Amino acid sequence: MSFIRISDVAKQFTTPDGGTIPVVRPLSLDIEEGEFVVFVGPSGCGKTTVMRMVGGLETPTSGEIYLKDKLVEGPSRDKGMVFQSYSSFPWLTVLGNIRFGLKYRSDISAAEKEKIARHYLDLVGLTPFADYTINRISGGMRQRVAIARTLAANPLVLLMDEPFGALDALSRERLQLQLMDLRRAERKTVIFVTHDVDEAVLLADRIVVFSKRPARILADIPVSATLPEKRGLDILDHSDFRKIRRDVLALIRNEERSMEAAE
Amino acid sequence: MSSATVASEEARKPAAERNAAPPARRPAWRDVVTFRGPPQPGLELWLSIAAFLAVLGAWALVAETGLVQPQILPSPFAVVAAWGRLFADGYIGDIGISVGRVWAAFLASALIAIPLGILMSGYRAITALLEPIIDFVRYLPVPALVPLTLIWLGIGEGSKITLLWIGTFFQLILLVADDARRVPKEFIETGRTLGASDSSLMKDVLLRAMLPNMVDSLRITLGWCWTYLIVAEIVASSSGIGYELWTARRYGKSPEVFAGILTIGIIGLVSDQAIRYLHRRWFRYLQ
Repeated sequence: MSFIRISDVAKQFTTPDGGTIPVVRPLSLDIEEGEFVVFVGPSGCGKTTVMRMVGGLETPTSGEIYLKDKLVEGPSRDKGMVFQSYSSFPWLTVLGNIRFGLKYRSDISAAEKEKIARHYLDLVGLTPFADYTINRISGGMRQRVAIARTLAANPLVLLMDEPFGALDALSRERLQLQLMDLRRAERKTVIFVTHDVDEAVLLADRIVVFSKRPARILADIPVSATLPEKRGLDILDHSDFRKIRRDVLALIRNEERSMEAAE
Repeated sequence: MSSATVASEEARKPAAERNAAPPARRPAWRDVVTFRGPPQPGLELWLSIAAFLAVLGAWALVAETGLVQPQILPSPFAVVAAWGRLFADGYIGDIGISVGRVWAAFLASALIAIPLGILMSGYRAITALLEPIIDFVRYLPVPALVPLTLIWLGIGEGSKITLLWIGTFFQLILLVADDARRVPKEFIETGRTLGASDSSLMKDVLLRAMLPNMVDSLRITLGWCWTYLIVAEIVASSSGIGYELWTARRYGKSPEVFAGILTIGIIGLVSDQAIRYLHRRWFRYLQ
């Protein structure tokens, strides 16, 4: 069985007056260990819901999700999450936040924990800011803290919900490149949700394009089949990059047009 | 750079800019009367002091000129003299008793309301069980409960502390639950995905995240304690600031009545400012 198996998973939300809104149509998806999968789709389409179900933060209405042959039944340390909004704890320092990622690990000693925390602090380039409080660092740094904290917990899969969505263009670019470096060093399985198609093509091994709500999979594009694994910003001019980007955009545009037609 | 080039550069500037004096600093008084203007802490403090002194001055003027009878409005000097008489007669003991009653009731409220409020925010069953009861008790007028506490507990300390406790506990628990509910969902979900159990989540994430708001809730509740304390001490007591105040009224000693009211005001102001100061120190990370 594949590393992550999403099997006939559907999700409905219940409205306060007892009605139901289908958010995700029954869909199946297999993700291999070490893959970097990016979910794209029109905004509000349910791609984040699919990811949150993998993380155990939402329960599927039907179907099952397996992570390494184990049924996902709720959030756990196996499924690390990085949110769009800044989720670093303001009452802790930069290093304190990263240490928090290790707080509930009983498999390693305190000395080992400190070593790991400092390792990830260094990996995201925040060693000079170790003792800063969260409100004194920039948004880009805060997301680096959140990523380091999540990696320190050593999850099986890293789930990222538009982590760079709130950043300015330059910080976003820098973090995208850093994430690619981190990922090459760590070999983590990643599910990354974004509505930025350039970001998707830049980062992904595989892009999964979702339809408008209720979500279904429109296309599953193997990016690493055509683009080199090690990518820099120069890839933006690569003809294959532009082709994939065009295809993905066309799919999403088509969906958004049919959404407007439906209204 | 030689002085010649400086001079020539100076000459190239338009006439208006040449040798122009540095722009005059906007006077501070303009900032404090500008809508949403920049802060001027020094001037703001002086304004506060001036307003306070103006009220005091107006009071002294009205009282000293005999515009209002001293029985209705004793002069500030008479009130100070009354303070002297009160303190000579063991007023500090009354203050100690009142402060003690307030803090005993306040701590008893907080110690129960904080854990219960947090649990209420987290578990729907606890909300469903407690909320109707709390909402009912919350709207009972506390002074109306005085006869009951007297019947149940007599006129000892128990009845007064119970009254204050009823007056604050049911409000505080809802404030704490609200503070807990306002903690961003992302903090809770981050804790969960890092492997926190329910109890560690409440202790390490929820409590820490809500603490600054909760200290504010506690500060507000402490103020209510004083309101109910005076009610309790006036109706059923033989000691405390409220009792002394009521006794003074019975003998028509207006200066003592004023002194009593002002004493409560000063204690309230000081404790409020002390908690605000601690808030700033403890939660420096918020700045």
